[in-house]
Amino acid sequence: MSFDDQMRDALVTFTIESLELLEDMEMCLLSLEDGEDTTERINSIFRAAHTIKGSAGLFGLDHIVAFTHVVESLLDLLRAGNLSVSPELVAALLPCCDHIGLLVRDVADGKLEADPAVDLTGGQLLEQLQVFLSPLADKNVATAVADRQSKLEASGGGSIESGKWHLSLRFGPDSLRDGMDPLSFIRYLTTFGQITQLTTISEAMPPAEQMDPETCYVGFEINLKSDAGKDEIEGVFEFVQDSSSIRILPLDSEIGEFIDLIKQLPEDDSYLGELLIKSGALTRRELEDALNQQGVNAAGDAGDTAAKQPIGEILVEHQAVQQPIVNAALDKQKQIKDNKARESQSIRVDADRLDKLIDLIGELVIAGSGVNLRAQESKAMALLEATGEMMRLVEEVRDSALQLRMVPIGTTFNRFQRVVRDVSKELGKEIDLIISGGDTEVDKSIVEQISDPLTHLVRNAMDHGIETAELRRERGKSARGVLRLNAYHAAGNIVIEVSDDGGGLNRDKIFEKALERGLISPNAVLSDQEIFAMIFEPGFSTAQKVSNLSGRGVGMDVVKRNVAALRGSIAVESHYGSGSTMRIHLPLTLAIIDSFMVCVGHSTLVIPLDKILECIALPTDTGEHDYMDLRGEVLPLVHLRPLFNIHGKEPQRKNVVVVEHAGIKAGFIVDRLLGECQTVIKPLGKLFTHIKGVAGSTILGNGKVALILDVPTLVDYVQHKSATVY
Amino acid sequence: MSELAANSGNSPAVVASPEIAAAGQYLTFVLGGEVYALGILNIKEIIDYGDLTEVPMMPACVRGVINLRGSVVPVVDLFARFGKGSSKIAKRTGIIIVETSAGDGDSANQDIGIIVDAVNEVVDIDRRDIEPPPSFGTGIRPDFISGMAKRNGRFVILLNIDRVLSVDEMTRLSQAAAV
Repeated sequence: MSFDDQMRDALVTFTIESLELLEDMEMCLLSLEDGEDTTERINSIFRAAHTIKGSAGLFGLDHIVAFTHVVESLLDLLRAGNLSVSPELVAALLPCCDHIGLLVRDVADGKLEADPAVDLTGGQLLEQLQVFLSPLADKNVATAVADRQSKLEASGGGSIESGKWHLSLRFGPDSLRDGMDPLSFIRYLTTFGQITQLTTISEAMPPAEQMDPETCYVGFEINLKSDAGKDEIEGVFEFVQDSSSIRILPLDSEIGEFIDLIKQLPEDDSYLGELLIKSGALTRRELEDALNQQGVNAAGDAGDTAAKQPIGEILVEHQAVQQPIVNAALDKQKQIKDNKARESQSIRVDADRLDKLIDLIGELVIAGSGVNLRAQESKAMALLEATGEMMRLVEEVRDSALQLRMVPIGTTFNRFQRVVRDVSKELGKEIDLIISGGDTEVDKSIVEQISDPLTHLVRNAMDHGIETAELRRERGKSARGVLRLNAYHAAGNIVIEVSDDGGGLNRDKIFEKALERGLISPNAVLSDQEIFAMIFEPGFSTAQKVSNLSGRGVGMDVVKRNVAALRGSIAVESHYGSGSTMRIHLPLTLAIIDSFMVCVGHSTLVIPLDKILECIALPTDTGEHDYMDLRGEVLPLVHLRPLFNIHGKEPQRKNVVVVEHAGIKAGFIVDRLLGECQTVIKPLGKLFTHIKGVAGSTILGNGKVALILDVPTLVDYVQHKSATVY
Repeated sequence: MSELAANSGNSPAVVASPEIAAAGQYLTFVLGGEVYALGILNIKEIIDYGDLTEVPMMPACVRGVINLRGSVVPVVDLFARFGKGSSKIAKRTGIIIVETSAGDGDSANQDIGIIVDAVNEVVDIDRRDIEPPPSFGTGIRPDFISGMAKRNGRFVILLNIDRVLSVDEMTRLSQAAAV
């Protein structure tokens, strides 16, 4: 793999990570207004911004660094408590979040340089932030921040600022070997301005006998008087930037700048002393002295390590560094630790690898049950115990492996907090979003593809569904509209509901419109369901006016198409005047459902548990009837044996599994009840798509495939059959 | 001879697939006393017959499904597919797992198992030994055959697996069976 390829790969990771971080950031920002303890959330927002800035810096994406830096500064103030959370602040930060997202996406599209138009918007956003930054300009801490910011803005915006710069150059040891003569850089520097002071740093120089004449040991501290902008000076060192440490500071940098330096250090070291040395606030000699001192103190305390004086304190005592710098370094140290902890929280894995793992574990289960069988045949107790324990573990492993592919739909739902917030502002309506069922798990691929149609439904509900505050009051509802997102599992499906408490669909109006468009004949008798289904026709809209959100009649048909592409369906339930509910049914390709196993002949069948009401023994006196008496109720019976073409000896006693779908009860006659289990749905191939009554298949612990019954279609099928017979 | 083969290969009236079977390695197997062969490039593995789950409402040629290391694979009874009645399951009965293209533009390939009476061996078949399929007389549909290979003085039928295991066609069949 060439270096370019590696960089490209790294860049992809950067964009994915950044977008994820931005999502977190947005979530935290939105929750900031809740008013509870916000410290942790502010910290994580800050960390997100900081990480993006740091990574962008690694790739030389200066425009992202410049923009994010200002946002970070503001967040820093927030973190330090110099600013308090206000709706205005959140409102100003949210677009910044979006803007960073835009920049990152641009990078993902291959635009590594700043786009002037995008830059302009960025500038405007930063001006808005300035409102929050400037009132604090007189405060000590803020000065440095504001200072930094104006300079960075200069570098980002491209304007040139006249000033003096302090350059701290540490050339990489291979610089000379790479043909980068430090002197030539310094000479080139003079074309930008005048070098007023130059100090050679040669502390890294080893004793003469160990010195390699081809290695560069020296660094330089240079004061440069120049009209050039920071980016230009930085450009001088472009070729050595990777291997060397180049820091450019305004000359009058004081403590604030050191703090800044510490914050920008790469996060590979967590020793306080190292951090300080790297920032230039401390020399190695000073650190070694301090470390010696620490050792001496500890020895004096009879080896009690816990009582060791922190190195920071010693350094301050020795007046090697100032307290604020040590504090900054301590912060940095904590942050490095935090980031490390964060990294270990989640790992990105290819979906293919997961699938492979799951398949392998499935194989392991089967192999394990083979071993178990042999163990049972051998009747060796110790062996049986050992295999039993192994099987238990293997099944546990399988369960957790299966969980890996499933993600809760809550993350998708939470994204709508923002949509609802923005859209309700735009529409001038007050709308609350209530999310429930967020931990309902769906296969990741479905989660990814459902968010577009959902966005559409949510926007629609807000624009057309929920009325204006005045109208709501007239109708005797509370002025605040309520939008609900709900998800639950039902019969091997995931159901996602988008409901509003708005005006509901106007049946007559839809009928009229459908008539007008020639979709139905004037004397057609249609059920509510059929009429409501009209809204999914392409170009169908009853909206009087077209807004920029919706009303053009494109959309619902797209939603329907998207849902259909996921092999799902969508239904509308609406009550005029009190709101409507859009219900999306989606299959869970790989979802786990609770199910009930039954046995018919030699076949094992699986029935989704949530459809089952009860299990009873089949009364012997039903004779040839296709119904039985269930506590005074007539229960139609379904004989699974002939329906599924199962042969084999019929047992003396049979059982009935009572199921219910859409208010209709039915009893499935089965031979034996095997009990509850968790079932992983495996779709049957294309060959079997037309089979009625089978929703999919699952693999049992013994390696056999069992069919999952599709209760709704079976009940329908039986109803249909009896309707045609009589 | 190769000229002859090329000619008949170009004539769609004889074979549905545009080309005749190429030389290469083939797996031979026995089915109903007849020896057939499949190009080994399509074959994923050979397993013992067992643990088959029957699926209702399917035509006779689709025997059921098996669990192949966590994925559910349909099993086709080749004998029934040739219209000769269902295979008898015996000691040497095996399932050859074959990868087929799923047909209508689906990018994913579908694995299908086929039931055979016994698996013989992998043989090298030379281009010279491959004859174009006869238009009748083999007892199975001509478009299922991509060639006849001469081997030890008898003919081995080279199967055109994409036609034999055409998912589209079998789906249509089973839809018809279900109605």
